[in-house]
Amino acid sequence: MNGGEGKYEVTPLIAAAHELKAPLALVRQLTLRLEDDTLASADRQRLLRQVILTSERALRLTSDLTRSSRLDPTLFTLEPINPEQLCRDVASELTPLFEAYGRSVTVKTHRHPLLLVANRDLLRRILLGFSDNALHYSMPGTAVSMQIKAFNRAGIIRIGVRDYGPALSSDMWRKLQKKLKTAPQSIHARPESSGLGLYIASQFAEAMNGQIGVVRHKNGATFYVELQASSQMSLL
Amino acid sequence: MIRILLVEDDAWLAEMEQAVLSEAGYEVFIAPHALAAIDFIDSSVPDVIILDVLLAGSTAFSLLNELQSHIDTNLIPVILCTNLAEQFTSSQLKQYGVKRIVNKTTMHPQDLIIAVRAVVTAEERDEDLSN
Repeated sequence: MNGGEGKYEVTPLIAAAHELKAPLALVRQLTLRLEDDTLASADRQRLLRQVILTSERALRLTSDLTRSSRLDPTLFTLEPINPEQLCRDVASELTPLFEAYGRSVTVKTHRHPLLLVANRDLLRRILLGFSDNALHYSMPGTAVSMQIKAFNRAGIIRIGVRDYGPALSSDMWRKLQKKLKTAPQSIHARPESSGLGLYIASQFAEAMNGQIGVVRHKNGATFYVELQASSQMSLL
Repeated sequence: MIRILLVEDDAWLAEMEQAVLSEAGYEVFIAPHALAAIDFIDSSVPDVIILDVLLAGSTAFSLLNELQSHIDTNLIPVILCTNLAEQFTSSQLKQYGVKRIVNKTTMHPQDLIIAVRAVVTAEERDEDLSN
């Protein structure tokens, strides 16, 4: 037993169960703590807020799982989207959660307006997932940053979510690369999670003719999604 | 005062467990990941380590291997507090210095106090026997 090798095949169902275990266990612990009659009112309010925010995180995952099982192209439309505005919407949605964890989320402004072709709901889910992941891996007091970059020659726009946390070891990096392309891995084959979130994000990206990837930094990582730039961009 | 190193990457759970253990009279230090835990242990050896398994960065097993490889740390009693408790047995983990496994999904916050008391008492008994 070294925590490095898989012990059994992890199906998406098992991965989902595992991913939901952590927030549910946390909600249970926080709620049990609330039973303590001697808690100060401020502590009680803080715990209640944490229960709500943790429940919302778990519900986002269940919602993503449902959505990922219905990725028929006829069920969603692709349209020109301003990624910066969408990033701002996601940042705004996540700000209460980030603040509760003593972190912040920012969006780097791009000089020129950009448009990409995507489904708003799927792209929003990808960004929420990356940001949630970044929240977990970032150090207290740091800001998770959303950045948009255009690769004009390839006609691609990349939205990255950068966190500032512990460096990824080479071993973890290799596993992470593998996870980006494959179904959820054995729970023992990677730290922290089964990779379900990345798997779902890659499915959402592929459904929009895009892809996801990751860049390793010495103090964290950037998870990104690349999508086709909108031809309307040239008209702006 | 008994000093506990709590290695837990969920800030809210760590904060809550720290509060419960502090109320019980223990001094609790939080390390959010294995590297921070090693840094802490380098400067000050705790009496007990409470360790989550799935951490951001290296897993608990990297830390356990590190602890076992040094003579001044391989006797620190470790309590594994994890969502994966059902996947381990005490005998599997004995070689890593793990004295207790607490199941995060079924435990009551007070169970941590019981686990700490148990390993501290066992350590004291072992010391008495060796003297």
